[in-house]
Amino acid sequence: MEDSFSDILKDYVKKMLPLLCAIGLILLMYIPIRFPLSKFLRPDTAMICVYFWTLYRRDLFGPISVAVLGIVADSLGAVPLGVNMFVFISVYVLAITFGIYVNTKPFAISWIGFALISLVAFLIKWLLMSVYYSNFLPLTGVLLGYVATVLLYPLVARLNVVIQNRFLATDEVIYEQR
Amino acid sequence: MPRRRILFIRLSQFKIFLKKILIACVFVSALAFMMLSKADTYVLDKAGGTVSMILNPIIQVMQIPARIVYFGYEKVRDISMVYSQNAKLKEESKKILVLQNRVRTLEAENKILAQMLEYDILPEASYITAKVVAEEGDGFSHSLIVYIGDNKNVSKNQIVLGNESVVGRIEDINGRYARVILLTDISSKIPVIVERNRERAILSGDNTLYPKLLYTALNADIKKGDNIVTSGVAGIFPAGLPVGVVNKIVKNKIDVIPISDIERLEFVKIVDYGVYSDVMNFSQEIKGK
Repeated sequence: MEDSFSDILKDYVKKMLPLLCAIGLILLMYIPIRFPLSKFLRPDTAMICVYFWTLYRRDLFGPISVAVLGIVADSLGAVPLGVNMFVFISVYVLAITFGIYVNTKPFAISWIGFALISLVAFLIKWLLMSVYYSNFLPLTGVLLGYVATVLLYPLVARLNVVIQNRFLATDEVIYEQR
Repeated sequence: MPRRRILFIRLSQFKIFLKKILIACVFVSALAFMMLSKADTYVLDKAGGTVSMILNPIIQVMQIPARIVYFGYEKVRDISMVYSQNAKLKEESKKILVLQNRVRTLEAENKILAQMLEYDILPEASYITAKVVAEEGDGFSHSLIVYIGDNKNVSKNQIVLGNESVVGRIEDINGRYARVILLTDISSKIPVIVERNRERAILSGDNTLYPKLLYTALNADIKKGDNIVTSGVAGIFPAGLPVGVVNKIVKNKIDVIPISDIERLEFVKIVDYGVYSDVMNFSQEIKGK
């Protein structure tokens, strides 16, 4: 029996759910909060999503999704186009490479894994921006952003787990680590 | 028995190979985008602007709950500060009355002197008030997205004021939204002078809350508490707009506190002084010659 149009559409939306969730979280971070230090304590939720979905549902979150997410983040922000794209694809590659040590391990291990990978990612971003502006960016703001991102990881990961278990659990695939 | 060589590639291996190529492509295109944005290309600006234009209305809707929370927070804060603020305001209003009379006298005097010198006064500024719909702030960039509606008079590089002092400039316009680069952003460079002694400098953002004064003379007489105003050099900002106050001087590093509280901007004023377009026309004329 052939699938109806709504079934096909549902399937596509399902496949795009990790990307849509990541975009939604980026938009959430742009809401003006007007609290002291709001200029520094904005976590990079997109980075968390890239790490999480690469680790657990790589079949739904490929390099194209990463590129799209990077372009969205770059277009909304004032950073030069390509910076977030580069950083996210680096996180993607690192998560694939070191995922074997983190996947199927307790949550704390994946959190530590994220803390290490995001530290590298933040340093890459800092370096790219410093080269772009020919001026070293102060590290304090960057480190505050990093700490905020690492601290928010459990919350965003929990949200992603809910999405995974509620909408995507039925078509889960188990793939070999390489 | 010798192993036979397999002459075909398995589909899964091909997929992995394709994925690796794709990852390399994303890396290369990211680097290419960065290089092109350094060159300030129209196509990239337009493409980025379109994405931003599509997503900005969604942020506007998403911020409703945050606005409610903030409204509650502001109310509690205001109530707790009402007595101290009242005393402060009374004191300030006395000072303002004195200053108001002095400004009126100076304005009249200035008009007469300008007439005597046949000096062309700059065109009257026009402005629009825009609501902040999104803000970006981390260790990498500081910007705002403001709603300008159907206003056609807003253009790139116009000045943005908050509380009558400079907070940034318009970077790009995407439909009904405009992006404002704050003066704390690393890409912001504003020609300024120290009001007290007309000492020239460049106010440069560095993604901290305190932009720095650069290119000051080695023996420059700059003190803590000095007012910093725009110098008007380069033609983007007219002269004399308040920007900030010198906060700290350590060796050659001079920190400036912006007058406007850039962390709590809700509405901003986009001002068109007509200076930038005049300067641009003039430079085009010179180039033509």
